[in-house]
Amino acid sequence: MRMSAKIRESDVYKIADRYKKLLIAFGLIVFLFVLGEIVVETFFSVGQVLLTIKLSAFIALFGLCQMVVIASGGSGLDLSVGYMATMTAVFTAAIMDGQNANLWLAILVAVGLGVAVGLANGVLTAYAKLPPLVVTLAMANILQGIINVYTAGRNITGRPSPVLQIIAAKSSGMFPNILFILLIIAPVVMIILYKTKWGLKLFGSGANETAAYLSGVNVRVVRCTAFVISATLASLIGLLLIGNMGIAFKDMGSNYVMPSIAAAVVGGVSLTGGDGNFVGVILGAIFLQTLTNLLVALGWGDAGKWTGFGIVLFVLLIVYVSDRRRR
Amino acid sequence: MNNKSMLKRLISNPDFSRLLILILMFVLTAVLQRNFFAMKSIVRNINSFTPLILMTMGQAIVIISGGLDLSVGTALSLMTCVLTSVMKEGAPITGFYALVVTFIVAMAIGAINGIGIGYLRIPPVIVTFATSFIWLGIALFLRPTPGGETVDWFQAFYKIRSVETAPAFLKAFGEIIPPALILVLLGALMWWILSRTKTGRYIYAVGGNSESAYETGINTAWVQMKACMINSVFIFLAALFFVGQNRSGDARMGDPLTLKAIAAAVVGGIALTGGRGSVTFALVGALIFSFVSKIIFFANIPNAYQTLFGGVIVIVAIAASQIYTLSSRRSVEESRLT
Repeated sequence: MRMSAKIRESDVYKIADRYKKLLIAFGLIVFLFVLGEIVVETFFSVGQVLLTIKLSAFIALFGLCQMVVIASGGSGLDLSVGYMATMTAVFTAAIMDGQNANLWLAILVAVGLGVAVGLANGVLTAYAKLPPLVVTLAMANILQGIINVYTAGRNITGRPSPVLQIIAAKSSGMFPNILFILLIIAPVVMIILYKTKWGLKLFGSGANETAAYLSGVNVRVVRCTAFVISATLASLIGLLLIGNMGIAFKDMGSNYVMPSIAAAVVGGVSLTGGDGNFVGVILGAIFLQTLTNLLVALGWGDAGKWTGFGIVLFVLLIVYVSDRRRR
Repeated sequence: MNNKSMLKRLISNPDFSRLLILILMFVLTAVLQRNFFAMKSIVRNINSFTPLILMTMGQAIVIISGGLDLSVGTALSLMTCVLTSVMKEGAPITGFYALVVTFIVAMAIGAINGIGIGYLRIPPVIVTFATSFIWLGIALFLRPTPGGETVDWFQAFYKIRSVETAPAFLKAFGEIIPPALILVLLGALMWWILSRTKTGRYIYAVGGNSESAYETGINTAWVQMKACMINSVFIFLAALFFVGQNRSGDARMGDPLTLKAIAAAVVGGIALTGGRGSVTFALVGALIFSFVSKIIFFANIPNAYQTLFGGVIVIVAIAASQIYTLSSRRSVEESRLT
């Protein structure tokens, strides 16, 4: 009797420990809503929560890109995701031209662009051993440059296909449709990461490079693939972005880069690699969007948003990443 | 036989080839730019190269100490915003207040980055990524749109002649030696003195192998923090130049310099792994980078292509330096063995 009770107690601790970061993220969201309700009246309502979730869906999806890259280890991060999405949106706007029939071609182009950019990022970091942040920052500049060249002599024409607009912008009843996309993607991602061989390889390469290599995992291929997945996902998110906005413009994706990384860190993704929980990233995204809403409600706008995001990321890095104890 | 191996060693010395590339770029620019050796265009070139040179030297010191600073661009923007917020046009004394306040801000920026990198041991790239948004946010609070006031004498950091109250001999002096050059020399002198003290040696030791540096009794965290604060001084000098030139503060103007400074430092042979490279050659790297941009400018490439080429150059430069450094180290090791 005593034995089994003991085991159960330790199980509780184990589960609590595993979901500690998720609970912290959830607690932070609740805290912000309570704070918002006190400081700004009429901050909390069902409509407000649903709108927050809709807006944070895009951050969460970009956060998924970061999560895959971060989990593969090698201190990877992808700073080019926002520009990747913008480029796809700008290019596919003309292809779709408001026709559903052209959506397949647009998706094909999006995947093609994503794979190409992801391969470039992956080869330069995994094979040429260049620091991921510098490579992807330079890649962001290159993509921005391509967009500048493309838009220099002409206006960005074309509209998204109606299907995309329904998925990304419209609601069914009171629930925004993008919420359902998130509800489909989340379990799929979790199954791929936790139940397939590839997920094991990804986390293995991040957790312990040498051990993974010695047990027959080609770490470089895994890391390269992570970058390809990240860029391809970002490219597809570009389609959703243009679906949401209705038009494509030059800076539509670049403001998502910082929140995507912050969402991953708030969601408890360890920056050293080897773990990652997409539910946490979604919670992180909701937290950041709630923070933005609160700061906007207080009238602090863009300046407040970036300062707030910076401070949140800095503080969480201190809590989660810093390893003072070792030394 | 001996001569041949010496020649081989000279060619395989990365610093030698860097100088060679610099000379090549210099000659190319001199050929392409009309009146390259005219006083006016020399001054103009120095002025356009100065910000990158200062930022590269600062960044190089951080990289040598084993860090990497992604916040230099927004830190520069923030400093220009602080300078133009404190100054009031027509009250010359506010210029001094601005200098003092901004220097304190610069030290705080360096200290916060340094605490993150050194004491809290957060990976440098990610912590400075976080702080870069704090600087951006504060800069946007101060200056939502570019603008602000400056005092008249502040132009002395760019062109002494524009300051009406300046004595004639100073104006003449400014025509021969542009203030930008003095700022660069000031920064270089500061590092030259520091590199001859314990701090300079410690920065290399910590960047090379922080574990063994710690074991030998070096306060590694404090050394890395000092490296960040030295970097801040360089950014401060660049901010003075920018405000002198543009007479306004802009929360977004520093952004492109972050990547350029890192790339220029790498071209100058600063190893991103830390502990290796010299700040003098970081200056060479910045010059190479500036000359290349100049050549691209003369090649009549449309404005829209500038960002694209900037990014491509960075990747090519970093990849080439990395491959070159790796292969030359191998060849040097081989020649030692034989």
